[in-house]
Amino acid sequence: MHIAFVLNGAPVSIEAPADITLLTLLRDYLGLTGTKQGCEVGECGACSVLLDGRLVNSCLVLAPQVGGRKVITIEGIRAPDGGPNDLQRAFIEYGAVQCGFCIPGMILAGEALLARNLHPSRAEIRAAIAGNLCRCTGYQQIIDAIQATAQHRRERSVHG
Amino acid sequence: MERFTYVRPNSIPEAVALLNEPGLRSLPLAGGTDLLLLLRHNQKTCDRVVDISLLPELHRIERRQGWVSIGAAATFSEVMESDIVHETAPLLTQACAQIGAVQIRNMGTLGGNVVNAAACADTLPPLVCLEAVARAVAPHQTLEWPLSEFILAPNHTRLPAGALLVSLDYPIPPAGTRSLFLKLGRRNAMAISRLTVAAMGRLEGNKIAEVRLVPGSVTPQTVRLRPVEVFLLGQAPSPELLRQAAQLAVEEVRRLVGRRWSSEYKEPALAVLVYRALHTLFLPPCPAEAH
Repeated sequence: MHIAFVLNGAPVSIEAPADITLLTLLRDYLGLTGTKQGCEVGECGACSVLLDGRLVNSCLVLAPQVGGRKVITIEGIRAPDGGPNDLQRAFIEYGAVQCGFCIPGMILAGEALLARNLHPSRAEIRAAIAGNLCRCTGYQQIIDAIQATAQHRRERSVHG
Repeated sequence: MERFTYVRPNSIPEAVALLNEPGLRSLPLAGGTDLLLLLRHNQKTCDRVVDISLLPELHRIERRQGWVSIGAAATFSEVMESDIVHETAPLLTQACAQIGAVQIRNMGTLGGNVVNAAACADTLPPLVCLEAVARAVAPHQTLEWPLSEFILAPNHTRLPAGALLVSLDYPIPPAGTRSLFLKLGRRNAMAISRLTVAAMGRLEGNKIAEVRLVPGSVTPQTVRLRPVEVFLLGQAPSPELLRQAAQLAVEEVRRLVGRRWSSEYKEPALAVLVYRALHTLFLPPCPAEAH
């Protein structure tokens, strides 16, 4: 069937079967492999994307469900110059990335939180990434990176 | 070859018509957090999904003449963020806030939780506690049931094929009512409930004027523990009274489900949760040793 939606700010129009997931649409039909295929049952968060600004597991969304809506994937998160944005740089700086498989989902979970709350407590950050499993880092560095970015964005919004 | 097709109706009547189109097995798609797993694992689940998740009237949360009505496709996040729900039924806010994690709460819906009627569904104890009513639309009629009668057994409800659950409505509890929801799982996030307790109550003077107690994940049907409620009504709450009520709750659950492999840990855990819930409702904050 025909599916038209806005992907990372640009309109997309594609023929795809009705019975595939958004995850499959992104990876296999649109070639955007930044969104990771993990558990495929909504447990691990590796496939997280933003759908109309809300964090969702793309493995639990049917591709045609995004028709007429806005999807942001990790490929849509970047600084204006195309490099990593402040959150992504903080992940690098704080050693929050080891194998990297969970990171696209973690970044989107972080962005979803910071879009609503620039004053998150550590408990709120933990709750915001509770649906994203990381088997490498033990989470502390990820939480540190999100917290530092929140502070950076607060300061920027005051001075900028 | 597609295993099923997809259609997005623009209104409730159109959705109901599509669900009842002859010759096609259609299923409503709301949050999809349960349905997508079913579609993946069972090749013959349906011929077509009818996506009701974007119908605005199914997301409405509103007060109407002493009642609150929650659209069946309201997500757990929408229910959790609703001031109306928080003001009138904090136990429902608390239950929704503890479901899955952000991603699941952003997709999963109150109506889906009720219709799928898993034995561990976290919104059922609060809704039964609130004496909620399930409202549905069928081709030539509207239907409604008290939620306690709507759920027949795990994964079985009275909803006829082709009918669409449209809202869950509950009467606003009188001023002074307190309520809460307690959950035990293996961890805080993404945990299937092992045991929950939803409780509501109100004191008049120093006597218990109203109390409702509903355990979750422990009985096949979500039910109020009436003998415990009757035991407490009219009494002045004290730690001793609440301890007796907690023991009575364990005995009532044992009467309902018998002893099972899990009873050995669930019975003492239930006694503690019930005690803690009643203490929070009726007495000043728990001293540490009561936990």
